[in-house]
Amino acid sequence: MLHKLDKKKWYSFKLFLFVLPFIVLVLLFSYYPLYGWLYAFYDYRPPRPFSEAEFVGLKWFKSLVENPIKIAQLWQVLKNTFVMSGITLGTSWIPMLFAVFLNEIHCVPFRKFVQTVTTLPNFISWVLVYSVAFSFFNSTGMVNSFLMSTGLTKEPILFLQSSDNVWLTQWLWLTWKNLGWAAIMYIAAISSIDGELFQAAKVDGATRMQMIRYITIPSLLPTFFVLLMMNIGNFLSNGMEQYYVFQNAFNKEYIQVLDLYVYNLAMGSGSYSVSVALSMLKSIVSVILLIVANTVSKVTRGESFL
Amino acid sequence: MKKRILSVILATMLTTSMVLSGCGGGGQSSNEGGGDQSATTDTSNAENDNSAAANTGSESTGDSEGAAPAVSHDTELTLEVYDVAANYQGLQTGWYGKILKDKFNIVLNIIAPQVSGDGEALYQTRTAAGNLGDIVLLDNADMLECIDVGLVADISADIQNYPNLMKYWEQIEKFNAAIGDGSGIYAIPTEMNTNGPTAYMKETVGSMPRIPWDFYSELGAPDLNNLDDLLNVLADMQEAHPTNEAGDSAYAMTLWSDWDNNSIENVNQLTKWYGQETLDSVLIGWDNTIMPLTDKEGAYYKMLHFFFKANQMGLVDPDSATQDWNAACDKMKFKRTYLVWNDWMQGFTNSPEIGAKGANYMGIPLADMQVFQQSDYYYGSGRVFGIGSQVSEENKVRILEFLDWLASPEGLDAQHASLEGLIYTVNDDGTYTLTDDGYNRFNVEIMIPEELGGGNWTDGNNQVNQWIGASVDTNPNTGEAYDPVLWAASIEKNNTKTTIEWKEKFGAENEVEYLQNNGMMSPVPSINITLATDTTDIGLIRSQCKTIVCDSSWKAIFAADEAAFEATWDDMCTQLDGFGWQDLVKFDTEKYQPVIDARKAAN
Repeated sequence: MLHKLDKKKWYSFKLFLFVLPFIVLVLLFSYYPLYGWLYAFYDYRPPRPFSEAEFVGLKWFKSLVENPIKIAQLWQVLKNTFVMSGITLGTSWIPMLFAVFLNEIHCVPFRKFVQTVTTLPNFISWVLVYSVAFSFFNSTGMVNSFLMSTGLTKEPILFLQSSDNVWLTQWLWLTWKNLGWAAIMYIAAISSIDGELFQAAKVDGATRMQMIRYITIPSLLPTFFVLLMMNIGNFLSNGMEQYYVFQNAFNKEYIQVLDLYVYNLAMGSGSYSVSVALSMLKSIVSVILLIVANTVSKVTRGESFL
Repeated sequence: MKKRILSVILATMLTTSMVLSGCGGGGQSSNEGGGDQSATTDTSNAENDNSAAANTGSESTGDSEGAAPAVSHDTELTLEVYDVAANYQGLQTGWYGKILKDKFNIVLNIIAPQVSGDGEALYQTRTAAGNLGDIVLLDNADMLECIDVGLVADISADIQNYPNLMKYWEQIEKFNAAIGDGSGIYAIPTEMNTNGPTAYMKETVGSMPRIPWDFYSELGAPDLNNLDDLLNVLADMQEAHPTNEAGDSAYAMTLWSDWDNNSIENVNQLTKWYGQETLDSVLIGWDNTIMPLTDKEGAYYKMLHFFFKANQMGLVDPDSATQDWNAACDKMKFKRTYLVWNDWMQGFTNSPEIGAKGANYMGIPLADMQVFQQSDYYYGSGRVFGIGSQVSEENKVRILEFLDWLASPEGLDAQHASLEGLIYTVNDDGTYTLTDDGYNRFNVEIMIPEELGGGNWTDGNNQVNQWIGASVDTNPNTGEAYDPVLWAASIEKNNTKTTIEWKEKFGAENEVEYLQNNGMMSPVPSINITLATDTTDIGLIRSQCKTIVCDSSWKAIFAADEAAFEATWDDMCTQLDGFGWQDLVKFDTEKYQPVIDARKAAN
């Protein structure tokens, strides 16, 4: 009996060993950094070491919202974050549609060509995307040279310095970069749809559009929802590289998302304590969003994912 | 099959480990070069101790000046130079690098916050890590902070041994007396001279409107009464010459944003035309007044409006907000911009040949101008050199030896006048004359022979870009200043068609004389004192405000119309108030009060 228990224990221990590396990773990279939250409660300013910093309690949290102008700026930053994440979420069906249409191209070399061309930008870093954008759109860039030599405009148009339609243009850049890559998942899903469905539909006289509408898209929806869910989890983290490289004095009001704001505060100006406080708020908002989504799921589908 | 795979894996592992260990070895040997922990270092350290002991011996025999400890140059030493003045990041190469390598066996690895894109972040991460650099060049306030937390070494025990540094002892002592209890010597001010505290030796002022003389003459050389006249002249110029000779588009003015800090640096330089210097959040007047930057009566608003108006007239290069200094500098070199302001910018636009054609850029006074000009930096420029406290004793001695050379006539010649033979020649009476290459070194690519370091002159120039001894200091070997522009031979050579015509029109020998004769300038005594450093609260306010000031200023320049300009300005002021601007102005006003007091006392 005892022997049996030992064996079972030993077996559990072995299983535990398999998990151990991941537990260590999570502890190391997800929990250990939380120690940095301490900075939000101290008056920390390099080059003075943290050990000499004075405890100030909630001072930095209060200073974030101490007057209407500061609240207005924070609100603008949150608005930018929500709008840009919102646009991305709201248009996340575009890659699916793209995959569907791509699949309908019967000339294989052309299809491969389109797919390669649209996937490649995903592997270019944002810095290079910006330099591409710069050489196209600066005052002596390709677009302006073209417009001016054809006499359409007299003065160069300063596209990159414009504060108009920042959200839209940023979304276009993001889509240009991500479309092909995001479509890969759907292309894989399409190829796994049972071919007999299409054959049967053809026999019944279904048109191409009907097949797309009644077979392809419904089969893709599960994939779509999984991806959507994952995007919601990252709602507040819409990345900062893109906005960091595109930001300038003229568009900053609309381009500064939460991550970028935290970065600009901390790295740009050494206000580490304040930016830690701000990023803590971000975590709290994320947790709230998660709970809300979970409740909604519980109410509508009867099951929760937490 | 299995065996084969196994052998392949083994072979791969073996090769990888060999490659890796090879890399490790390489790293180690380069470390030896750095002279950190290797055996060679230990021996030379021992030697060093011996020589130091020998040195104390000689001192006790009554050697008054004291001699620097002998230093072994057997190992190559790479020094990290954290340098707020540099416009270049990386190893010092070329002719100047070769001089340092040959003389001291050192290589400078320059870390340039100005180039890195995010200078403040670089400063803070490096200071937080406890190692800013082996040699640090900082603004006074930052230096105080670093000394306070122990990042900078005390050199009071060593400096007496270095005669060239001791030439500036009065200034060094005065600066360091204000640090801590005043007993240590940490910082060496820059651009000091030995000419006395109120002298102004230059023939040019730091900032005034400078435009191409040939284009100005074409327009009949009209007298300029104010900024509007200047804009009109520039507009006429741009209309007559929309491109340079090569056909590249030209604009009356081109700006750049990478030098911005608390406010737009280009505007800051222009506030000096109307008697105010922009420092942090305040404007300090030539008449010892002080007012907030946001005062609409102040020069910052005035000059921002000047740029705005210029942009309305189509005179501002559309690249201005996105280009960096190097791009703007190229435009100056190729005459693609018609207004420059700082006197050193004329190095890029002027030469004797261009002057002979009557096309040098010349300072043109506006009748309502009151130029803000400090006297020569006798006590230092506001930036200081220091040695990192983490530097080993042995390396510290080598750094001191290097700094002493920087302050020596030989070193100052190398920094200000460059290479003997190639850039200048020595006359029979011991004075120097620039060669043709020397005259053209700033605006033509001068190739350097391989044995002198190769490459071109500009890339090989001293990229530290800051000097312990000022260029106006007098070279004891020649009796003239170190600055080639001030040599008798250069003044003679620069007396070209342009200068002769300029003198005729303005009835003065040079712009300084003209401005002083007409009561448009009286040099403000140069003061170099340590100022209060920011608390965390003020630091936060400053950092948030400076983003608002810079962003709004750029928006204002490119505003669509007068109403939009005003709206941007007002919006900036409202936002600033919300972020604590009043506290910041109060802090800065108190911070600069000692400067004003000292200036009043010196007058």
